[in-house]
Amino acid sequence: MNSLLSTFLTVFALLLFSGCGADYLDINENPNVATRPPLDGLLANASLGTANNHQSISNGHSSYFVQYLASPNQGSSTDIYDEVTNGGAWNGIYGDMTDLYDLIRFGEEDGLLRHVAIAKILMAVNLGLIVDNWGSAPYSNAFTGEELRPTYDTAEELYASIFTLLEEAIALMPAAADTPEIGAGSDFVYNGNLDLWTKAAYSLRARYLNHLSETGAYDPTAVLSAAENGFDSYEEDAAVTRFAIRNPWAQVAISNAGLVLGGWLSEQFIDAVNGTTYATVDPRLPLLTNENEDGEYVGTPNGEGRAGTGTATSESYLVTEGYFSSENAPLDIITYAELKFIEAEAALAASDQNRANTAFREGVTASMLEIGVDSSAAVAYLNEAYDTDAVTLDDLFREKYVALFLSPETWVDARRYDYAYEDFELPTGAALNSFPLRVIYPDTETNRNAENVPDVTMLTPLFWDTE
Amino acid sequence: MKPQKIRGVLSLLVLFLATSVWAQQLVTGTVTGDDGEPLIGVSVRIEGTGTGTVTDVDGTYSLTTQEGNTLIYSYTGYGTVSREVGTQTIIDVELVAGAQLDEVVVTALGISRERKALGYAVEEIESEQIERTQQNNLVNSLQGQVAGVQVTSAGGGPGQGARIIIRGINSLDPSANNEPLFVIDGIPVSNETLTAGGGAERNVSNRIADINPQDVESMTVLKGGPATALYGLRAANGAIIITTKRGQAGKLSVDFSTTYGTEEVNKFPETQRVYTQGYEGVYDPDSFWPSWGPTVEEARQYAEENGLPRPNDLFNNYENAFQQGNQWRHTLSVSGGDEKATFRTSISRLEHEGVLPFSDYENTSFRINANYVASEKFNFGGGVNYIRSGGNRVNADRFSTRLTYWAPQYDVNDYINEDGSMIGYQAGRTAGNNPIYGEATNKFIDDVDRYIGNLNFSYAPFPSLTFNYTIGLDQYSDFRQNYGRGSVYPGAPNFEDNLSNGNGFVVETRMRSRDVTSNINGIFTSTVLPDINMRFLAGFDVFDSSYDRVTTTGYDLDIYDLFSLNNAADIQTESNLRNRRLLGLYGDLSFDYRNAVYLTVTGRNDWSSTLPAANRSFFYPSVSLGLIMDELIELPSAISFFKIRTSYAGIGKDTDPYRTSIVYANPTGFPIEGVTGWSRGSQKGANDLKPERTNTFEIGTNLRFLQNRLSLDFTYYDAKSVDQIIPVPTSLTTGFSSFVLNAGSMRNRGVELMLKGSPVATENFLWDVTLNYTRNRNEVLEIYEGIEDIFIGDHFGYAGASATIRLIEGQPYGNIYGRSYARYGANDDDLFIDYSQPMLIGADGFPVIETTQKILGNTQPDWFGAIINNFTYKGLTFSFQIDTRQGVQKYNQQGNFFSAFGIAPYTLNREETIVFEGVTADGEPNTQAVYLGQGTGPDGRAYGAGYYRNTYRGSTENFVEDADWIRLRNVSISYQLPATLLENLFIDNVSLRVTGNNLWLDTPYSGFDPEGNRGNGNTDTGFGGFTYPGVRTVFFTLNVGF
Repeated sequence: MNSLLSTFLTVFALLLFSGCGADYLDINENPNVATRPPLDGLLANASLGTANNHQSISNGHSSYFVQYLASPNQGSSTDIYDEVTNGGAWNGIYGDMTDLYDLIRFGEEDGLLRHVAIAKILMAVNLGLIVDNWGSAPYSNAFTGEELRPTYDTAEELYASIFTLLEEAIALMPAAADTPEIGAGSDFVYNGNLDLWTKAAYSLRARYLNHLSETGAYDPTAVLSAAENGFDSYEEDAAVTRFAIRNPWAQVAISNAGLVLGGWLSEQFIDAVNGTTYATVDPRLPLLTNENEDGEYVGTPNGEGRAGTGTATSESYLVTEGYFSSENAPLDIITYAELKFIEAEAALAASDQNRANTAFREGVTASMLEIGVDSSAAVAYLNEAYDTDAVTLDDLFREKYVALFLSPETWVDARRYDYAYEDFELPTGAALNSFPLRVIYPDTETNRNAENVPDVTMLTPLFWDTE
Repeated sequence: MKPQKIRGVLSLLVLFLATSVWAQQLVTGTVTGDDGEPLIGVSVRIEGTGTGTVTDVDGTYSLTTQEGNTLIYSYTGYGTVSREVGTQTIIDVELVAGAQLDEVVVTALGISRERKALGYAVEEIESEQIERTQQNNLVNSLQGQVAGVQVTSAGGGPGQGARIIIRGINSLDPSANNEPLFVIDGIPVSNETLTAGGGAERNVSNRIADINPQDVESMTVLKGGPATALYGLRAANGAIIITTKRGQAGKLSVDFSTTYGTEEVNKFPETQRVYTQGYEGVYDPDSFWPSWGPTVEEARQYAEENGLPRPNDLFNNYENAFQQGNQWRHTLSVSGGDEKATFRTSISRLEHEGVLPFSDYENTSFRINANYVASEKFNFGGGVNYIRSGGNRVNADRFSTRLTYWAPQYDVNDYINEDGSMIGYQAGRTAGNNPIYGEATNKFIDDVDRYIGNLNFSYAPFPSLTFNYTIGLDQYSDFRQNYGRGSVYPGAPNFEDNLSNGNGFVVETRMRSRDVTSNINGIFTSTVLPDINMRFLAGFDVFDSSYDRVTTTGYDLDIYDLFSLNNAADIQTESNLRNRRLLGLYGDLSFDYRNAVYLTVTGRNDWSSTLPAANRSFFYPSVSLGLIMDELIELPSAISFFKIRTSYAGIGKDTDPYRTSIVYANPTGFPIEGVTGWSRGSQKGANDLKPERTNTFEIGTNLRFLQNRLSLDFTYYDAKSVDQIIPVPTSLTTGFSSFVLNAGSMRNRGVELMLKGSPVATENFLWDVTLNYTRNRNEVLEIYEGIEDIFIGDHFGYAGASATIRLIEGQPYGNIYGRSYARYGANDDDLFIDYSQPMLIGADGFPVIETTQKILGNTQPDWFGAIINNFTYKGLTFSFQIDTRQGVQKYNQQGNFFSAFGIAPYTLNREETIVFEGVTADGEPNTQAVYLGQGTGPDGRAYGAGYYRNTYRGSTENFVEDADWIRLRNVSISYQLPATLLENLFIDNVSLRVTGNNLWLDTPYSGFDPEGNRGNGNTDTGFGGFTYPGVRTVFFTLNVGF
């Protein structure tokens, strides 16, 4: 019997070690994914994502706060400032910043400096979105996978990082020109054109320097000098025009047409351009939205919801015929028109009225030409609306508000301008007693990184918002 | 050997073609105990059929059977005896009590062992107990029947998945499978609930729902630890061993059964029926708001003054929207054989239409089992089961949510225009989602083809040595089509989900899963010393699992109702492959001493492909001891049996595939115009993971009294799982949304009690009662340093009232966190609310909301149990089962919505002005009167959206409800026609049964039946509200045997 038993065990041992080789178990490398990604692919996703992040900020809260848009539903929480977090945008931005972090890291390892330079600029833009909307946030020890609970850099520190990233990107350009090209189509913004990226980096530098207008650190001369190296025409705008399916604003328009309501223009915006708030009718209006059934442009008051049925066309919405909401409309990151308004604002601060006047008119004109207003109409509008030749800060914010329609940048302006737009009022049924100064941190932070999340409300001002 | 094999196959063929030639006969007899006394209530069954009888007060029985049948006599505490029916008409049987008990149960690896030899608790339920429940999902038939086993479901939908947890949740990982291993005829089979392609919201089936319950002879529940140590890591959460019915030698029998069931929703939430559509008390037929308008009377006056159509009376759409459900199940089985070859084959068809419109499910199953005894030394057999299952899986969550938004002044059943467009509730009925239209035009249909096959060979070269080999395959494909209809004409009223990415959509998901199992072992028995028997078992098993899936999404249909991917403008495809392999080498050495002391030691080494190479091999032991005390010491005569058992096991556990590295994947939306995108994967794998380990200690006893009339079984267990592998959810700023880590330990401790007795046994009347009780205590012992808590899941609530389930050290699994009313004197750090503290009232006169989440309840019951009663009077059997679950809470999302939309009955006080009881910030009693309604109050103050929207809905405390229940799970009356009536007929036996499930429910919970969860995952338990409602069902069954 004992011999039987040993035969029996030998058989098992043989089965185990011969029948199933050691590599039988070596199948744990995930066949669906890569361990080292192609850098063109990282750039493709992050460059498209960066533009999309602007839309998520805008559609998620900022366009409602600046009253470009209004909810069709009464008392909608975004409209009335009710604990707005916009976690979707936060997550999207951090997802793209993670890929940009890797792109910089791997690009430096592989000597792909074009990728590195562009990634740094895109990183700066995304970081700008985070800090200007939420305030302090993880950056210096984020993305690594080493830190379970990243600590928060202050908003000032994040601004310093933005400037450093832009400077490094600009400094890298000459060396980058000698490194391998970016794959065709993988850069969704400029298709690998480093000259345009350099201009974009300077334009962004001007933007973020200009954000400091209310602080002691404000240096209009530095803004002006950055602007000089920025865009020279609206054809150089940093924007994305290729999408997974379509421009996300076009999706909003199509859904709205299909009665998944959204993209309703606010009464504030319509009144600002249809001759109500100001005497002059803005020629851009028909290129942005629709007339209602009565042939009028009608906005919806924020907080009040729809006045009509919701199905009949009683109001003005984002429509696929609109310039910013057509299927392949450019989704802007920063534009030439914005740069001109920045220049005008800095020139005013530097007491250079002439330069301010010129930049202002160029900003308005560029905005109009870009969306299809003919140049004579643009000139006529400027001449009618602004009879003196001394542009004021109010003129500037009024026009920038229209020119940057749907841009998240307008909420930065609104706070720097203390919401002093003509006739700008709290929404009906506002949950706050004054205008919001930031959005609050999303649940993923308060639940998973509780010890580091700063205790803030929507009324805690950012560091550049001092008055 | 070869000719014998062929002969075996031939005999099977002959049997298939043969017709019944055996004559029927009436067998009678008396069953006595070994003391000569007649035994009352002994079960006498015809093996392989569902039919049988019990002995009466004189111990006698009578039964119509056939020559060649085997009769099985079983009686609690007496074991089981079988007798073959020959030509005799009287069969008397003596059953031996207590110590000589030879009750045999199936244990790990399908090995039959005497129950008394086991050092751990094992419970078995048999075909009658399964069929009595009339559950289509085999998992549900375990509800309340076995101590330690908790079955929950996502509601009463056709084919709806169910979840089974044995002895508590063992893993901190929100995505871990905490369910036991299912084994059918020696082959581990899949019980996965695959949610790919949108199935998570669609109550898809757990795969055991494929199995026809009428094919099952018995289910043995092994509760983990020592009981499953031989099975290895896959059975770390326990195992359910299913044995299917087999053919019996000597008789061809044909059984036909048909069941019709009709069902309705068993519990509806209450709604207010006073206030109608509008906002701030102003009537508006175009309003989004279903119930914040004025009363119907006021609305009518307003409508008249403003030239609006007359507002309707309010419908109770919660009742209107649901319908009567129906189901039919037919099963035909044929079985038989001779001494060498036996077979059983069955075909079954289920059609089930649910209470929620458009929900349905079908299941067609074909099974054949065959066995052949080639010689005394060699036998083999096998089985094949083909199943086709699936149906339209409705989105109950969407349905009920849309029902909540729907204005009650319109009948929701009026949902479709003649042109096919939607009838809404706003804007002249042209807008506002109609939930029924949604289900009519937005569908999710799954179609599963599944093959389960097993082959087993047994060779015994010597009586003391047997080799067994089993090979099995469980393979299925699942084709899921999810589509939404585009608009009938541009701008036509449509359900919003149909338009999420253009005009209509089609999603096709094709999955294939294949599990191959191979298991060889040998068993050697020997008498070592005169009083000591030894048994040694060693074996090796291989498990190879592969899965692949392709999901193709097509958006924007050209023709609005052509649901073909060819008709979609935007196409996106995504695929996924997955492989896992396991090897296991195991051994089991058992000794018994004088049939009184039983000792078993086992060891197993597993090799898993999912762990890093350095840590993939791991060994774990178990030891168990059974002591039959009445053999060892003198006991009072009232005690007929007394056993003590104890055991210990440490089971290792691997993890999911592909958790050992950091990866990059292609993000959704790409490729775009020929450009591929890449993005870092959201889960951070670790290349230093080590196996988890669950250490289980168990001690128990079985005591029987009064000649086994009363039996008590008690178990205490303590299972500690350490080094758990968990994807810890992290802030996205880390660059990942989770890190996989060996990150914690958790303990489950509990008691299980089972009491069985026969309180009444008179001449014609028998009463058996079974009572079971389970209490499990869970504690999270340790979480990875630096991590305060593990996020398990959350469920949305308006105004920040989302409920969250998080795990923290020192607390049990399943704590529900949420916002609450602030209390005066409370600290931010308090985990729990001190309900004795007064409510804090704000300067505005309303309660203040505490925004730091506190623990408001727990999803795990304090205890649960059941009482099953069985009464027999001649051919009539009546049974009922009462189940209860106590000390459990649940977040009712529907409650949150009901308050936000003015639907809950308590919002009827909206026009009142009251003073909230509580204290203000300075500690003084609040005296400020406030208006509860919207807009401007009678005091001239602006109240905005009103108390319910501004305050009440924002306190999760209001919606974490006690979800305890007591229910009449099952009532069943069956009648077997007297054999005398069927004499001279070709019919063997006829029985009729009427069953009622869920006829009565008592619960403090305000929503649908609280048993329903959001889904079947770990993250779903404790979240309810918009679930598929529970149902009460009445079944009529006819069984005919030929």
